[in-house]
Amino acid sequence: MQRGSTLEQLPTGVDAQRAAIESAQKALGSIILGKQSQIRLALSCLLARGHLLIEDLPGLGKTMLAQSLAKTLGLSFRRIQFTSDLLPADIIGVSVFRQERGEFEFQPGPVFSQLILADEVNRATPKAQSALLEAMEEHQVSVDGETRALPDPFFVVATQNPGDQIGTFPLPESQLDRFLMRVTIGYPDQESERELLAGEDRRLMLNDIEPVTDPETLLALQTSVRKQKVSDALIDYVQALVRFTRESADIEIGLSPRGAQALIAAARAHSFIEQHAGVFPDDIQAVFPSVAGHRLKPAGSTRFRSPHELCQHVLDSVAIP
Amino acid sequence: MIKAQPRGTDGRLLSSLPWTLGALGVSLAPHVLYLPVWISAAFLVCGLWRYAIEKRRQMLPSRWVRGALALLCFLGVLGTYSSVSGVGPGSALLAIMASLKLLETRRRRDQFVLLFISIFLVMSSLLREQYLWSLPYLLIGTLIIMTAWLQMSAGASQTARRSFSTGGRLLLYAAPLAIAMWILFPRLASPFWAVPIDSSRAKTGLSDTMSPGDISSLSQSDEVAFRVRFDGDIPEPRDRYWRGLVMTKFNGRSWQGSEPQDARLRADEIEYAGDAFSYEVTLEPTQQQWVFAMDMPREWSLSRTLMGPQQQLWRITPIEQRVAYNVVSYPSYRAQASLAKLFRGWYTAVPENSNKRTAELARSMHELAGSDAAFIDAVLAKFNNEEYFYTLQPPALGSNPVDRFLFDTRQGFCEHYASAFAVMMRSAGIPARIVLGYHGGEINPMGGHLIVRQSDAHAWTEVWLEGKGWRRVDPTAAVAPERIEYGARDAAFEGFGESWGFNAPTELLQNLTMAWDVLNANWNDWILGYGPDKQNSFMKWLGMEDPDWRKMLLSLVIIVIVLILAISGFMMLRNRPPKKDRASRLYLKFVKRTGLELQIGETAQKFSKRAAAENKLPKETIDAVTNAYLEARYGVREDAAVIRLNDALRSIP
Repeated sequence: MQRGSTLEQLPTGVDAQRAAIESAQKALGSIILGKQSQIRLALSCLLARGHLLIEDLPGLGKTMLAQSLAKTLGLSFRRIQFTSDLLPADIIGVSVFRQERGEFEFQPGPVFSQLILADEVNRATPKAQSALLEAMEEHQVSVDGETRALPDPFFVVATQNPGDQIGTFPLPESQLDRFLMRVTIGYPDQESERELLAGEDRRLMLNDIEPVTDPETLLALQTSVRKQKVSDALIDYVQALVRFTRESADIEIGLSPRGAQALIAAARAHSFIEQHAGVFPDDIQAVFPSVAGHRLKPAGSTRFRSPHELCQHVLDSVAIP
Repeated sequence: MIKAQPRGTDGRLLSSLPWTLGALGVSLAPHVLYLPVWISAAFLVCGLWRYAIEKRRQMLPSRWVRGALALLCFLGVLGTYSSVSGVGPGSALLAIMASLKLLETRRRRDQFVLLFISIFLVMSSLLREQYLWSLPYLLIGTLIIMTAWLQMSAGASQTARRSFSTGGRLLLYAAPLAIAMWILFPRLASPFWAVPIDSSRAKTGLSDTMSPGDISSLSQSDEVAFRVRFDGDIPEPRDRYWRGLVMTKFNGRSWQGSEPQDARLRADEIEYAGDAFSYEVTLEPTQQQWVFAMDMPREWSLSRTLMGPQQQLWRITPIEQRVAYNVVSYPSYRAQASLAKLFRGWYTAVPENSNKRTAELARSMHELAGSDAAFIDAVLAKFNNEEYFYTLQPPALGSNPVDRFLFDTRQGFCEHYASAFAVMMRSAGIPARIVLGYHGGEINPMGGHLIVRQSDAHAWTEVWLEGKGWRRVDPTAAVAPERIEYGARDAAFEGFGESWGFNAPTELLQNLTMAWDVLNANWNDWILGYGPDKQNSFMKWLGMEDPDWRKMLLSLVIIVIVLILAISGFMMLRNRPPKKDRASRLYLKFVKRTGLELQIGETAQKFSKRAAAENKLPKETIDAVTNAYLEARYGVREDAAVIRLNDALRSIP
């Protein structure tokens, strides 16, 4: 029966989506040990169609996280190592003259992949940075006056090393805003580190991972995420948070309306992963440090030393309506 | 080797300096008219100089230069006023020192000091005068200073518009407090402090000598002398003679008020008859002692006020502030039916060597007329029938002014006629004296009161007739009857309108003038005239029995507390959390049951973990309530979840 089957398909569809996410989480967790919340955040970011900035010291698994994300989700993956001599054409691609055919042919650059790892993004010149960031914003690139759409899904994971000072071009605030989230990975705990040291080489393990979804499923997931319920009570909470960031003496520049939108989008994805009936304040609180951390400009006189502390202060100061 | 660089300004104050200068300028504005020009100029110079220093990153003038300038300016004020106390020198000193302070304004803190000074300057303008327009000036001035203040303390990101609206809001919040203070702060009959009166200020009004030309110069002044509110009908213009001072001594040129002393109470020598008029006069400050009342006053309410030997009212202390008093007057009266011989000589004295032609004329006319009464009529008829003119621009009269006026120029204002008439009477042996005061006045149809202006100043004569006492004779009425019938303003002067630029006022203009006068009268009555008496009766009207300063202070304190509570209550109401829905109310009940308290920023899930860890309720119940609550508030099927939440709550024993 035609009608009966559609009715039955819908719940199984959602179940299949949920199952896919769970297995993706599990697969990622087996490679990146003890970093469940970071994995959840990275997945949330991806499901919310946002781009991710990972900021941490070398050797903490930034690249590994990006690579395993691509692998588990079955996305085409390219890595761009940002250096000071990187040119925009190295990212976007160039038109090459084909003598035999007597015409130009476009050689797509690494940006034409579904998941891009922009490694050490702050090492490149602003010109190269902005080529990538423009592509992130527009989901398309223009080469030789021709507009070329980027693949869908299109997901950029950029990494940067906060310790590097010399020879870097830190991203300006306006460009940081293009990233939905900024996460830090941090050192693993004792147990996970032990398991890591005793276990197999992660690079080899990466080869064995089977994709748990395909790009089509991912697009369907992204659509489902956008349907997660956001109640009036939750919007009240978001508004209270945003207002607090604008009025607090510790914060010079508070969250913009775009920042608030990003907060809700990320929380939607998070609540979907957590299989919540709607977006809960817990989802907001879970994504708040990563979404708001790089968007708030702390006041010079603030006593909070890191963006994370500042965000936690905001969460601890705003009552949930 | 590094040499210490002289420290110039760093341009940090460049953006806020115009605000400081603006605030100072606004606060100095009402003083400019009274201050010597060099002080205003010094302010401008200091302001521009300071701005240029900041703009060019130059050094501020050295301590020695500033000290020398301060000394110079102090001496300048001392030289200008020959004193440094009092309103005039005080505000001059304040203004000049504020200007000099600009030259040592190095930091933001100094700018705030300047703003303090400008607020003080704004307030000190009230020591000079408190007109109706002082109120808008005070409000706008304070608002501008507040804006400057907020602008300076808020930093660059604040827009002037926002500072302005914040300042306005702050003033608005303060308004109820200010009004309560104004109403309730105890007014004392004799204040502990006294504001020194600015004696340098020229005051238009009558003075205690009268020379030809004195009153005609007053006739150009629109300034209000006093306002009168009658209890019943307003008397006819011909009866509205407002008696001021009486002058008895003539030196050939001018009349003076020196008078024979007599200990007897003059009020006893007056017989009153007929109907009385009862009215209230609101007298503008004159700095003189005379109290104006319509002929002939019998009762008056002003304290420390006596009737002088010539039936004029005067107060022991000069009238330095606006006063209001009630008077009962009788237009029909007989004053001093008998006059002692000694006084007759006094009242008929004229200097021998002046105005001889007048004296001769008077004696011959008196002989011709036969009786005193007929002689008076004859003189009035002479003024009426012969070519005498009533004019505001009389020619100069020289050393024998009465002779010259009577025989040559024949043009004059009321004081010429009064003076000539009195001299003629005295020359013929009839006691005569001159009364100076106001005549007529304009009825304000909107306020129903009478406005008497300086232009209504008038001089007339009184002659003493045996058995009849002092009788008023107004020679001006013989020359220009319309002056007496309609008042000085409306009296038809040929060429007067053109030469003075006045034209018949249009009705609209007239109405506006009258409305403005009503506003002023009420302002004077209720705002400026709010003294101990008015406060007392107002407190009684409010229901306070036996008001005294303790009760008023107590009510003031209570009102201040109530106001603070009300304003903070209003703020709390505005910022209160939104009304809880049903799910929240049920959940809060649950939180109460656990015996724990929900912390700020604690989500339901975190709370459930904490509650489970503390083992307050069975974990299943906690989870059931939490899940139902989360779904009810944030999920899709709220109604069903609310029912589940309710059920889960009921299951708690």
